[in-house]
Amino acid sequence: MVAKTPEQINEDLLRPLSVTSGRYWVGLAFFSGIVVAALCAFLFQVYSGIGVAGIRRPVFWGFYITNFVFWIGLSHAGTLISAILRLANATWRRPVTRCAEVITVFALSIGATFPVIHLGRPWLAFWLFPYPTERGLWPNIRSPLLWDFFAINTYLLGSVTFLLLPMVPDFALVRDHAKTAVRKRIYTILALGWTGTPRQWHRLEKAMQIMAIAIIPVAVSVHSIVSWDFAMAPVPMWHSTIFAPYFVAGAIFSGIAALILAMALLRKLLHLEEYLLPIHFQNLGKLLLVMSLLWVYFVFAERLTTWYGNGSSEMAVFWLTQTGSYSPLFWTMVTCNFLIPFPILAIKKLRTITGTAIASFTVVIGMWLERFLIIVPSLSHKYLPYSWGTYRPTWVEITITAGTFAAMALLYMLFSKTVPIISIWELKWGRHEEPVRDPVLAQRDEEAMA
Amino acid sequence: MAHQWGMVIDLDRCTGCEACVVACHAENNIQTVGEKQAATGRAQHWIRVERYYEGEFPDVKVKFMPVMCQQCGQAPCEPVCPTFASYHTAEGLNGQVYNRCIGTRYCANACPYNVRFFNFFNPVWEKPLHLQLNPDVSVRTVGVMEKCTFCVQRIKAGEIQAEAENRPVKDGEIQPACVQSCPTRAMVFGDLSDPQSEVSRLAHSNRATKLLDELGTLPKVSYLQRDSWHGGEDT
Amino acid sequence: MAAVNSVYGLFHGPHAAERGMNALRAAGIAPDQIIVMSPEPFEEYGFAQAERAKLMPWLVALGGVIGGTTGYLIAWYTQTAYPIVTGGMPIMAPWPTGIVTYELTMMGAIVTTLITLLIGSRLPNWKPKLYDPEISDGKILIGVVDPPDNARADIENRLRRAGAEQVKATGRFSAS
Repeated sequence: MVAKTPEQINEDLLRPLSVTSGRYWVGLAFFSGIVVAALCAFLFQVYSGIGVAGIRRPVFWGFYITNFVFWIGLSHAGTLISAILRLANATWRRPVTRCAEVITVFALSIGATFPVIHLGRPWLAFWLFPYPTERGLWPNIRSPLLWDFFAINTYLLGSVTFLLLPMVPDFALVRDHAKTAVRKRIYTILALGWTGTPRQWHRLEKAMQIMAIAIIPVAVSVHSIVSWDFAMAPVPMWHSTIFAPYFVAGAIFSGIAALILAMALLRKLLHLEEYLLPIHFQNLGKLLLVMSLLWVYFVFAERLTTWYGNGSSEMAVFWLTQTGSYSPLFWTMVTCNFLIPFPILAIKKLRTITGTAIASFTVVIGMWLERFLIIVPSLSHKYLPYSWGTYRPTWVEITITAGTFAAMALLYMLFSKTVPIISIWELKWGRHEEPVRDPVLAQRDEEAMA
Repeated sequence: MAHQWGMVIDLDRCTGCEACVVACHAENNIQTVGEKQAATGRAQHWIRVERYYEGEFPDVKVKFMPVMCQQCGQAPCEPVCPTFASYHTAEGLNGQVYNRCIGTRYCANACPYNVRFFNFFNPVWEKPLHLQLNPDVSVRTVGVMEKCTFCVQRIKAGEIQAEAENRPVKDGEIQPACVQSCPTRAMVFGDLSDPQSEVSRLAHSNRATKLLDELGTLPKVSYLQRDSWHGGEDT
Repeated sequence: MAAVNSVYGLFHGPHAAERGMNALRAAGIAPDQIIVMSPEPFEEYGFAQAERAKLMPWLVALGGVIGGTTGYLIAWYTQTAYPIVTGGMPIMAPWPTGIVTYELTMMGAIVTTLITLLIGSRLPNWKPKLYDPEISDGKILIGVVDPPDNARADIENRLRRAGAEQVKATGRFSAS
């Protein structure tokens, strides 16, 4: 395959910013519609009272907290790819990093809305912020919800930094190729006057290295803290020490799946066939396989311990998911997270772009179900059987859930129209870091020496 | 030493009449949510009579157990509230401050006894039912958690009265609505820190057990029963 | 763009750029007068070695320490200002305090990284002294800022011999 020149790369990766197909507008309108519907549903909920949602006694947390955990979990995609692979010097990650980091920032932003959406009095959500009040009262730092507050904000700041920093040289690129005066002005501002001196490159590189090292423990802590929202409460099958590593592993699992899905769609819709190669999907597919096995391991370990202990309240919840009223969802989850992905990802012939995309789609569904099945069955069957109950979502919760998926798609569509979705400078840098000499450039070199 | 309020409920005397439930509703301005909402599981009964059936007809036994907030010494609902709406008072009660509650509902999930109730909508009292509201107790708004307070308004009134008369609170002088209304005197309320009070004596009886003792919540409510419900087992 | 006097060459690749740099150094031009701009980092090459970011990790560590101290102080002050007993836990609960301290340590490190990056790179600087949009097409710019008038021809020759595709001048040099 003939290697592309820098000009060709620029052209390919900048094209989505200026060329818009008809179906883009259709997609934009469709997703915007769903997001608007979700917004209306939320406003209706604020106006009428949270009772329009399906939560009730004893299942006081339902779809909203499921979505909260799900989206925060999905946001671990970027961290894994950008940070861990960067530290492991896996150069194949380069075309993929920005796709991943974008998922992180948007998924986190979406997830972070749910602590407000699910409140009984959401207009008072700002009380979670430590500020001096006339009552002299501060938030309760002993509460895991406060840990959520600090952790999610730190992670959001870190992810946004991690996303925006390497975008600056690409903004400079877009600025230099801007076709209209308005675009030139906007991208000039965004590029911060980047010129590409060694001073700037050294500092950018160093900052990325530091961020890569810093963001990994933050990501681990974020989902551990989210898991402790459950593990700190004495609820059967919640009060388990396995929750923190279990959730982090599940987050990385769902994150990789979301990334593969996003990449497969981008590849098709933006014609990036020569940049997002089968090898990328192969490698990510292998990672997904490892995470699927890890997920099975954690579920097995948790359930074995519960079953062996045979506590009456815990076993009530255990059987509820295994054979009782939640068992259809439970076994669907196992199918989606393991039974379908495992053969697809383990057999090399099946680990194609389409194969990994299918596996990823089922994993996303399975992981959403997993969050639901952690939260709802345990709450519905706590220690006193007289208070056992059920849960059914209402149209409000379903609409808002659909709205989050639409919001993700919408944000992604808007992003890929304004910023090159593949980090151009990193891609080019990756190419010349390898010792293989580009024949086109080598010839020009010879001519210059003559 | 500060009062440490506690309660003893004699299950061998309880008939399951639910007079306590009605009295609690009346005293504490608890709304009746309506048929549809109750079917969804949103009924608010700060005290409820749990009913368990044992055996087959004609040897059916029915067990009644009034359950209200146990005012746990180590309440799992308290540390998890981000705004300190649920906290421990100096008199050993679990206080719920309605004004601080933003409705995360974490406390209700953490409570193993399921004694916390949430206002999913703004309560409505159609006229003339609004005339029966107790002026000593606030009416809660939508999005706020509520639960049994051991009728803290009566406790406060009793303490203020005793202070005004320059005497200590007499044992049995303060009675929450449920205790007051029980026809069989199955419920006793008093100061656990006073070894002479009736509630202290009964709490040390050999018939006394605590609900979900093994969870380490240190509840203040003791249940008296001749046999424990599970034959040889303790819990 | 403020007018600055410079003479520079645009090279198509790092090897040629390295030759250009060597040629300028051989002419005895001081390193702080030589200007380099590239579309990607070229860490392995000599021409891109100037002005490394040695201080940054230390500053970030310091930022982390400051963040952590702030976190601990926030935990200490807010919980002791209005002490409320919850669940039998101490007012200054060690584990939650540790978590908040940790998160703010990381927040401090992240914010410091961002600030030292911006300040160290002298960004934002929307009116850079010198820039050529051809850099975005993959060219590397090697040149001299404020050379003496009589040195101009020599610099241009050296750059061309080293393999510059184009040689340009700005400021008072651009007229001729």
